[in-house]
Amino acid sequence: MTIKLTGVWKTFGEGHTAVDALRNIDLVSPQGEFTVILGPSGSGKTTLLNLVGAIDESTKGSIEVDGVELENLDVDGQVKYRRESVGFIFQFFNLIPTLTAAENVELVADLTMSDGADRTVEVLEQVGLGDRMHHFPSQLSGGEQQRVAIARALVKRPSILLCDEPTGELDFETGRMILGLLKRVSTEQGQTVLLVTHNAAIGDIADRVLRLRSGEIVADGRNETPLDAGALTW
Amino acid sequence: MVSPLQHKLWRDIARHRAQFIAITITMFLGVTIFGATYDSFRNLEASYSSTATEYHFANLTVHGGDVNGVVQEAATIPAVDSVEVRTVADIPFQVGDVKLLGRIVGVPASGQPTVNELKVVRGSYLDPADPNGVLVEQHMADHFNLAIGDTVDVLSGGSWTQVTVRGVVSSPEYIWPARSRQEIITSPDNFGVIFPSADLAATLAPQPNNEAVFYYTGGNPDAQVSDQLTAKAYQLGATDIYTRAEQPSNAGLSEDLKGFEEMAVFFPMMFLLAAGMAAYVMISRLVHSQRPHIGVFVANGFTRGQVLRHYLGYGLVPGLIGSIPGAVAGILLARGITRLYTSMLAVPVTLVQFYPTTLLGAIAFGLVASLLAALAPALVASRVQPAAAMRGETPSGGGRLSILERLIPPLRRMPVSWRMAVRGVGRNPRRTTYTIIGVVLSLMLVLVSWGMIDTINHLMNRQFVEIQREDATVYFTQSVSTAEVTALQDVPGVAQAEPALTLGASLAAGNQHYETSLFVLENNTQMHRFPTVNGDWIGLPDQGLVVGKAVEGLLDVKVGDELTVTATGGITFQESIAAFVDEPFGTMAYIARDRADALTGTQLPATSALVSYAPGADSAQLRQTLTNRPEIAAFEDAKALYSTMQQYMVLFYAFVGVMLVFGAAMAFALIFNAMSVNIAERTREVATLLAVGTDRRHISRYITTENLLVVTMGIPIGLVVGYFASKAAMSSFSSDLFDFSLYMKPTTFLWAALAMVVVAFVSQWPGLRAIRRLNIPKIVKERSA
Repeated sequence: MTIKLTGVWKTFGEGHTAVDALRNIDLVSPQGEFTVILGPSGSGKTTLLNLVGAIDESTKGSIEVDGVELENLDVDGQVKYRRESVGFIFQFFNLIPTLTAAENVELVADLTMSDGADRTVEVLEQVGLGDRMHHFPSQLSGGEQQRVAIARALVKRPSILLCDEPTGELDFETGRMILGLLKRVSTEQGQTVLLVTHNAAIGDIADRVLRLRSGEIVADGRNETPLDAGALTW
Repeated sequence: MVSPLQHKLWRDIARHRAQFIAITITMFLGVTIFGATYDSFRNLEASYSSTATEYHFANLTVHGGDVNGVVQEAATIPAVDSVEVRTVADIPFQVGDVKLLGRIVGVPASGQPTVNELKVVRGSYLDPADPNGVLVEQHMADHFNLAIGDTVDVLSGGSWTQVTVRGVVSSPEYIWPARSRQEIITSPDNFGVIFPSADLAATLAPQPNNEAVFYYTGGNPDAQVSDQLTAKAYQLGATDIYTRAEQPSNAGLSEDLKGFEEMAVFFPMMFLLAAGMAAYVMISRLVHSQRPHIGVFVANGFTRGQVLRHYLGYGLVPGLIGSIPGAVAGILLARGITRLYTSMLAVPVTLVQFYPTTLLGAIAFGLVASLLAALAPALVASRVQPAAAMRGETPSGGGRLSILERLIPPLRRMPVSWRMAVRGVGRNPRRTTYTIIGVVLSLMLVLVSWGMIDTINHLMNRQFVEIQREDATVYFTQSVSTAEVTALQDVPGVAQAEPALTLGASLAAGNQHYETSLFVLENNTQMHRFPTVNGDWIGLPDQGLVVGKAVEGLLDVKVGDELTVTATGGITFQESIAAFVDEPFGTMAYIARDRADALTGTQLPATSALVSYAPGADSAQLRQTLTNRPEIAAFEDAKALYSTMQQYMVLFYAFVGVMLVFGAAMAFALIFNAMSVNIAERTREVATLLAVGTDRRHISRYITTENLLVVTMGIPIGLVVGYFASKAAMSSFSSDLFDFSLYMKPTTFLWAALAMVVVAFVSQWPGLRAIRRLNIPKIVKERSA
């Protein structure tokens, strides 16, 4: 799926307290592109991700995904879009503590498919958790929990993967492993990926690197030869 | 100056105002009910007590036998302050078209009696110059709209004597117009009291000067004096002896007061417990979510005592705001209740007092309940380790299979959202437990109230439909033969008529006595059925006495034991007990006519007839027809008492209605708080589910399922606990006057359970609405929910 943002603004608050989180963003991300968005805190990275994921709405401008303008979707349309097209991966994993790894994934799988259980096993094996799928989150390490979160995002075969600081809570080795996993599965499945991070080094694995500052894109570069995640260091 | 911590306290409360308001309202209701019921109880007790002292309410009443002999005995006892010998008789009255079996009580014409004085409410006291002037008891006067100068006919020696109303009075003996301990509840169409002069009473009654009333110094009960006089009275052939506590009206009022006293403890306790639990759930959640803040406080030098006091404040605030107005409202309400009550009952003295102890006690109850609720979470807060707390909130409950899934493995294949709901129940066991307790308490409140309605309805039906088969009792102007009774069957509409004789009687076993009414009925009576204590129905046996089951314990006797029966008219005989019967109202004695004749060696007369109507007969027309017959002196409609009691039930329905509203409010407050906290605790999960494309309806269903599972767990426990609480409550009202064995309709359980489910549905609605307002981007980004 191609993501296209045209003149997008996002303002929080009103009057004197108004803050522009995003200012006049223009961006096109074609299908299968792996984009890393870098920037300091408050630069608007997460806001951008939330707008593309339709869990927030822009103040001005247009966001199109495969020609569909997200602003025109009603609440049910937004739910359908998120359910069918978007996979979210959060910094703090956000797993349901009372469900096992498999159940966390199956919960989402059941939303879109009848063979949810089979697909769950498949995707958990894909992220390397075939032998840990019946463990509860509290019985998993941070890296394992994030892999469950990735499996949960991938299980419904979304066209877009939105990753908000997916390695922010992980140690270096685990973070590198997670990035490798994300890069591998998104390449295999042809997903468009937007990954937000503070860590500039992660930009080396991306097809494209955007830099945001105070809500504006201040740099937009491409990697002709992206690194393999295993070669990353920071 | 307000400290920053105080600012935080008030702002936190403002932020969670809905939950705190729910706690405060529950606290307010509990304290209000306590203040209202306890002060009403104290006011009524004081009013009755003042009435007894001011109007010299008799400490002992002796009826029948040689009362003058007892008076002579009393003259030797210094503690006996005053004695009155008077004429008391139950004789027919005619007021307009209504003939009833009323009561005359002779009093001195020249001035108030020294014992059982009367309060003249309207008109004037007796005058020796007006020998036919009488005083009418207020309940009777009000029922028949009797004004000064109106006339009433009183049957005397087979002919009617007209008396004139000089005044309307209230009497300490008839605050509750009971005919006897066996007839505590009477219909005003069947019973009324007139106070003629002693001379007039002596001419109207068959036996003059047949009762003595004794008042002790200061009105203080003196068991020794009562025992001495009672022993003497029995020796001298008394048929009915009772102390002030046993006096029918007073005994009825005491039962009523007992109810108030129990209500004053039971219902407020329930509310305060519920409020306490709701506060506990709420404050625990606050402490849990504020662990990082507490860590910062402690790290910055706040003492553990300061933290403890701060979180106790979350209990103290709703405690104070609920208790103080609640106590004031309760006391004001008590004044209204007392006045309404005493005016309805025509209590001669109404005392409405301010009891500081009630005010302070009510506030203290509310504060203690709220502080106890806050104590546990406040202690947890004070013990927080700052370093660990500042690292962030610990997850709320680790994952594990639910008990249900472990017990029934196939359940592990339920849809995931169901599994999530089932496991959510055990996620916070303490909160689940408190919610269940809340449901149990609410059901208890509802069932105890509803149980009273069911029981009384059932008992009334049992007494007036299943046991008493007659539609009316008619009293003759003089004793009649069986043939004269049978002649009533010729009246169109009368299906059957049976002769009957009712006598005041004392049953004795050894030194133990019990005063009751003895019914002499036909051998094969069709008018009365006898339910035994085993649940069987029997006919009247040819031989032996059938007595109410309370006699078994009161006289320490069993079936086959012999009782000595001393009845009015000098009748004495001994007879063994054939059976104990389980009758709801009163503790009576029954004997077959032939057997009674054989035992007394005489043919006992019939003074009344039990009459049943043919199907479809017009009861009002029949009442008129029978009343108009010259040989009939009084008519007692068996169903009139039933109707009267059903009218009283309207008050019960109102009471139960209020209790149902209170119960629902309590359930709402508790479940609402538990649900709100439940939802608040998992906002991050909900936001995540929304972000991944789950719609709100789906999430609402899952949360509703979880909440209803918890409520459903509480319902069966609540029904069982409620049943036993109702049973205990009803049995506490049981005595020889009434047998309140609990009866509950199966549908009552069903309705109560359904009501709880509806309350649960409604109480989670605000929480579910809050889901719509969730800021998904913010929540999914936060470290803690």
